[in-house]
Amino acid sequence: MPLDTRIKKVLIIGSGPVVIGQAAEFDYSGSQACLAVREEGLTAVLLNPNPATIQTDHSIADRIYIEPISAETIGMIIRKEGIDSVIASVGGQTALNAAMQMHRSGLLGSGVSLLGTTPAGIEAAENRNMFHELMKRIGEPVPDSAVLDRVSFPLAVEGMGEQSYIVRTSFSLGGSGGVIVDNRKALKSYCETFFTENPAETLEVEQSISGLVEIEYEMIRDQLDNCISICNMENLDPMGVHTGESIVVTPSQTLSDIEIQMMRTAAIKIVRALGIIGACNIQFALDPATERYYVVEVNPRTSRSSALASKASGYPIARISTKILLGYALPEIRNPLTKNTSAAFEPSLDYITVKIPRWPFDKISSNHRIGVQMRSVGEVMGIGSNLEEALMKAVASLDTTESRRLRLYKPREELLDLLREPNDLRLFAIFEALITGIPVETISSLTGYRPYFIEKMRNITDELNKIIIGSIPENLRELKVLGVSDSIIAHFARLDDLDLTRHRMAAGMVPAYRIIDTCSAEFRSSTPYMYSTYHGKDEVPPADNERKIIVLGSGPNRISQGLEFDYGSVKATKALISMGFETIMVNSNPETVSTDFDFSSRLYFEPLTLEHVVNIIIKEGRPRIMIQFSGQTGQNMAMKIAELFGEDIVVGTSPSDIYRIEERTKFAAAVDAAGLLQPSFAVVRNEEDAEHVFERIHLPVIVRSSFIIGGRSMDIVYDFRDGIQRIKDVLTAFPEHPVLISEYLANSVEMDVDFVSDGSAFMICGISVHLEEAGTHSGDAISLLGPSLVSSETRLEISRIVGILVREFRLRGISNLQIAANERGIFIIELNARSSRSIPYVSKAFGIDVIHAGISMALGLEQPIREVAEPTSYFCKIPIFPFKRFPESDVLLSPEMKSTGEGLGIGKTMEEAVSKAFSIQNPSSVIGDSCILSVSDSNKPAILDLVGRLRDEGITIFATPGTHFFLKKHGIRSVLVFKIGDKRRPTIKDVLENQDIFAIINVPERSGGAVADGFEIRRMALGKNIPVLTNIRSANALIASLLKNPVLEAREIACYYSS
Amino acid sequence: MYYLCLEDGSTFAGTGFGAVVPAYGEIVFTTSMSGYLEAITDPSYRGQILVFAFPTIANYPMEKGIMEAGVPHVAGLVTKEGHAFLTHGGYSSQLSAFLSASGVPAIDGIDTREIVLKIREKGSMRAWISPDPDKKDFSIDPLAQDLIYPTVSHRIERIRNPNSGKRILFVNAGSKRSVINRMADLASLTVVPYDLDIPDEKYDAIFISNGPGDPDSPHLRKVINYVRDRIGETRLYGICLGQQIIALAYGAKTYKMHFGHRGSNHAVTDGKRIRITTHNHGFAVDSKSAESKGIKITEWDANDGTPEGLADEKNMVSSVQYHPEASPGPHDSMDFFRQIARELDS
Repeated sequence: MPLDTRIKKVLIIGSGPVVIGQAAEFDYSGSQACLAVREEGLTAVLLNPNPATIQTDHSIADRIYIEPISAETIGMIIRKEGIDSVIASVGGQTALNAAMQMHRSGLLGSGVSLLGTTPAGIEAAENRNMFHELMKRIGEPVPDSAVLDRVSFPLAVEGMGEQSYIVRTSFSLGGSGGVIVDNRKALKSYCETFFTENPAETLEVEQSISGLVEIEYEMIRDQLDNCISICNMENLDPMGVHTGESIVVTPSQTLSDIEIQMMRTAAIKIVRALGIIGACNIQFALDPATERYYVVEVNPRTSRSSALASKASGYPIARISTKILLGYALPEIRNPLTKNTSAAFEPSLDYITVKIPRWPFDKISSNHRIGVQMRSVGEVMGIGSNLEEALMKAVASLDTTESRRLRLYKPREELLDLLREPNDLRLFAIFEALITGIPVETISSLTGYRPYFIEKMRNITDELNKIIIGSIPENLRELKVLGVSDSIIAHFARLDDLDLTRHRMAAGMVPAYRIIDTCSAEFRSSTPYMYSTYHGKDEVPPADNERKIIVLGSGPNRISQGLEFDYGSVKATKALISMGFETIMVNSNPETVSTDFDFSSRLYFEPLTLEHVVNIIIKEGRPRIMIQFSGQTGQNMAMKIAELFGEDIVVGTSPSDIYRIEERTKFAAAVDAAGLLQPSFAVVRNEEDAEHVFERIHLPVIVRSSFIIGGRSMDIVYDFRDGIQRIKDVLTAFPEHPVLISEYLANSVEMDVDFVSDGSAFMICGISVHLEEAGTHSGDAISLLGPSLVSSETRLEISRIVGILVREFRLRGISNLQIAANERGIFIIELNARSSRSIPYVSKAFGIDVIHAGISMALGLEQPIREVAEPTSYFCKIPIFPFKRFPESDVLLSPEMKSTGEGLGIGKTMEEAVSKAFSIQNPSSVIGDSCILSVSDSNKPAILDLVGRLRDEGITIFATPGTHFFLKKHGIRSVLVFKIGDKRRPTIKDVLENQDIFAIINVPERSGGAVADGFEIRRMALGKNIPVLTNIRSANALIASLLKNPVLEAREIACYYSS
Repeated sequence: MYYLCLEDGSTFAGTGFGAVVPAYGEIVFTTSMSGYLEAITDPSYRGQILVFAFPTIANYPMEKGIMEAGVPHVAGLVTKEGHAFLTHGGYSSQLSAFLSASGVPAIDGIDTREIVLKIREKGSMRAWISPDPDKKDFSIDPLAQDLIYPTVSHRIERIRNPNSGKRILFVNAGSKRSVINRMADLASLTVVPYDLDIPDEKYDAIFISNGPGDPDSPHLRKVINYVRDRIGETRLYGICLGQQIIALAYGAKTYKMHFGHRGSNHAVTDGKRIRITTHNHGFAVDSKSAESKGIKITEWDANDGTPEGLADEKNMVSSVQYHPEASPGPHDSMDFFRQIARELDS
């Protein structure tokens, strides 16, 4: 079946802002889909409000709508563009939900068709009851389940088996995934409590399959009913830990062929029963003792797992499945990796890959438990010739403290707890347990990991235990064959890791590089997609182009280093290729576009650590290296790379200048010397100093480590006692660096200035203004670009400052400057000599290729261009937070970044942009009947104006006692509500449950205990999807915009470039 | 130290396991990622040293696999990590003991990808696994001897299927047990080894099994002649070597492939649809000569066009080159057996 000629213009729905569970993998699959559509000469129209994506770039899609995803927007785009087909299978659950909404609202049908799986098929896969019914009908085993209500439960529970159950409420507050109860008795008592509190609700009870082996299959089916399995994956963590939270190995390691084929056959049967067209992911739970399995879940679309499977196997699932959606049958499609075989086959691997999730517990204070719900924000993949090598390369890629030393040094009891309860450190707890001699069987029974995997880990710890402190290990080669990183070996031997790396290089102990070819070398592959191994011969000669450059990616997605950086590295690759360079990409994040072999000349899927980067530099004959697009990761290794290969190897600002910027005391001195303003600061080296520092610097102050570690460990401190404690904490966490105390600039406006330069000349690309006052992390602030937001005097002054900094630090390439402006002048907060989070946003607001310009200047290829004109429309970037996943954490913002992603609201007016932005953050951002106010004393005067406007619109205001009486004094009526837990009624809880509340404005006092006051209010609002505004300025902006009720029109991005 | 010596002069050192004897054979590789026991015991590997392209082998106990014969039939085994490397756990001792009981040596710690690359470029070669690194005698063709003889039972075996009134003559040319079992599900079988006289009884169909070696070998003349005389008389079916024997009976030609197809991931197509199949063949039927004899190519490999299915509807003949019985590999083409059942009933 060839291309379906009825298809001309395809709308591809993206996944929106990065949230936990939906991240870079959908930028990858969406980009692949766009490219596959365009390759056929069709028009790809993309909808995605996430400006950090590479897919919202005109090099990927023909027509781009950076607009909120809703049925209205989609309808508008369909009419404007004359869309005939829609692809909703490459934008995660968001796109799938949008498609179902289109189906229900009648947008599909009349001339517009949904390509791939039909809405009925999607529903059958997604609706738990329908799915279970279908499985029973086709004879596929599913866990027993029942729906209980207040009346039926006693009898029903009596008749149930003695086993553990997962209980889900039918309304699932705050996205909670369910509770596991251990036995029938526990289920009974859970039901009793629940139905007493919620007599009108129902409970969904399902036989728990916790502890079984979780296996996934990635399937593809075409319209001729050809069906193939791309690969299977085995989770090390047993059922009960979400697959996104599990360590996953590809292909399965402990399964027999009988088991593999049993589930593969079932998968094909299921895919056919659902009528899947395109890609699909199926999860099974296997009981290896009985060889029985259960069907757990089907995702009728590309997923995080399909991205992982694509990178692990080399088979580009999103690309091939898009071709299928366009009408092709599998045998008509070529395998794009080998280029000389058919896409109708199943990949065969001759290596092993291991995926490890990365959690945000370094940024979000919460307990570290993991389970049926996703909490990780990113992942890494290690590739090796055996499980040990793959696992240890994945560990190295994590870029955390544990990943560099493997040890936890925890007492036995704590260690046993870490083994027992799934948590982010469990893998390291297993290593620690093996090192300290806890038997494999004990570890296996505590963790539920199959003994095979623990035995494999023991191979690693056995070799590590042979290391003698103070000397280069005699078994260095054995350790390298097991994939153990230089830094772990150095940690065990108490050596400097750079010394160890030098020794290893001198001894000629370097890895070989091998090709990922989808076919275990059976056919020749023409794509240089490579991984390193210490297990064999090198099979790839270095790139023969003299003009070649290594581009470092940014590693696992994490809070503060996410998709925005991948955008940078992909655009950098494109720019360099257009300048005639061969690009060599290095990254270890399987979700990303940068690890798509289509985008770079060569792809090394390797950990972004000094060791692996150095190996590649040597392998490729010391080409120059670009670290500007790898976030803090590249900055942190800049000095060491320079030490080994000289400063010149780094393209852009030189490592020694980077060091002068990153070392805050040196930076501050330079800023002072240049006569520029900065908040007053002091350096504290020990606890004694801490006592005196507050005599010089007045509270509130910002406390942080003196060395930039990606904004980590930064806090605003409002009182003396807190301050001393914070200083002690930071000194303990980063003993090698002193603590910096700096003045907190209250009542100032913070701005992000992104510019490109060549060491003397420069071009300012964008000045984005934060809506919140200084002190909120720039990644968490709502940020605006638009005409006349910055006065021409300020612009001139910023230009002067940038000029001074460019010359002082010989800045080359892309840099980002954070400043705070108040009546005293413009203060320098931070300078980053690298591409920053705001680059994609700025690029899209101005419609210019900032990265191309930056690279040209860094390489000295082009003279700076004129100053960029002011934007003609308004661009409001809004952060998206993961608080729902962390019930113990507060939603208040701080200098510690907490958002996982961002959305962009664009409008011809400020109100349109702001309204769109807020609707991306929370689709229920519309004016309703009433709102709740609870504002601390110092902030009360600032709300009067806002409250007045609400009153004029006839909106009912509920206010907590302090706020209520304050308003009363100023002649504004409000309804008195009491805080949660108060005996008096109504409480905020009552009001939230019974009134149409459209927003909660809760601005707490920022010191000590007062913050805790509003905690429950904020959590409760979050659970109910009601916007919580904790900042007066953003509250003002939202309310003002909503009250103006602007018309929200969807426009192609280029429409915003002209007035 | 153990050595793998190839005909092209290259030698690889590794760790020996299994029997401590030298082995000589044709070196071939499989890209199957699972089913090590099924492969090792497959009689079609007789005379061959098998390389596993997948690096870790025997990660699960033998009991979880299927024995395609009571003993290993590979001449020798080459692994990257047959768990000789794993000091703990794994089942290397079990596999090693199994191989050693039948005098089959194996070599571990070999960079199997490098061997695969070599075979891909140079084709299947002759090879030694030996404690001696200087094995240089590659003059004997390891496939020249009668490879089938040691793999089959030398008496006629009758398998009754109480649910079927049909009888099939099963010519055993080195069959996997799975093939016999799948066929026995369809009808009662009279299993006759390739070298015995076939009892002159009435059969509803004749089936020729898979097996090792060159189909155009003198040892198979008897079967080929028998089949030639039955064309048009009785339904004829074959798998793998069986397909090649049928083609030779028609007077078509077979040829030795560059390095063959061995794995569980090849698609075969009938021109419209594909299925993923298990392959294990180093010889193939020559399409042109087959078509000139009135045989239709019904299925072929999606990548290289090798004929994977033949039919002569008029004479009720149908065969496949791949392995519908799987073991190891996908079960997508079990339909082959259901088709036979339908035809027997028609």
